[in-house]
Amino acid sequence: MARFFDWLLRRHVELPIAAQQRAIELPWTQRWYHIPKRSAGWDFRAEDYQAARMNARMVAKETLGPDAWNQVRRAGYIDVPSRRFPGLTYRLRIGRRIEVRCRPGVDSPWPFPYLCINPVYPLPEEEFFAHLYLYARDNEDEIIRVGAPQPWDQRLGRTF
Amino acid sequence: MSRLIIANRRGHQVLEWDPSVDTEETREAIAEAERIINDARLRGCAVSRKVEGQHVLDTGRFDPAAEEYQIIAPIAGG
Repeated sequence: MARFFDWLLRRHVELPIAAQQRAIELPWTQRWYHIPKRSAGWDFRAEDYQAARMNARMVAKETLGPDAWNQVRRAGYIDVPSRRFPGLTYRLRIGRRIEVRCRPGVDSPWPFPYLCINPVYPLPEEEFFAHLYLYARDNEDEIIRVGAPQPWDQRLGRTF
Repeated sequence: MSRLIIANRRGHQVLEWDPSVDTEETREAIAEAERIINDARLRGCAVSRKVEGQHVLDTGRFDPAAEEYQIIAPIAGG
């Protein structure tokens, strides 16, 4: 009976192929405008999302390092102090807009407390969180250049 | 082993090579890694390199002996 169900499953459900067995996908060579928000594309199934998020967590953890990763898991955010604006901190949270926090008496250069920044192609939330962390820490000018100030918090549209 | 991590909607995929072994396969993998990194940079991606156990954004020339590179997605506002 178990063999029958196994056969039935394999016949009717294409099992997800591990990411490493596929040809390497280079997302910057493709256009993604047609993909709905918070989606990886029409060809992605629940199993693909699950595998992608597991993959993303592995690399995000390695990119951030154990201390920063544990801080994110414990507190839900990580603060990156600005080098351009003394007294200002970027609070990064997985899958959400950057929260700009200022010490008392410090004026923000932006009119609103949130910066909306997305990847230009779809990525799992935790993977992009690690990317955003590197930008905020090592290339703040890019955050300043592209960040779209927003009055409210919201989930990002290009991550899932 | 050295490796290039390519972040994409699959989470990530990896290209690996052993810089201490001079074989046709290794040379091909190194050439492919360099091509991918150069192309990604031209299209607006950033690249990080693992230095002393930590990833840092890197703008230097491709080094086949590096422990690990990672392609970082370009970002856009809104």
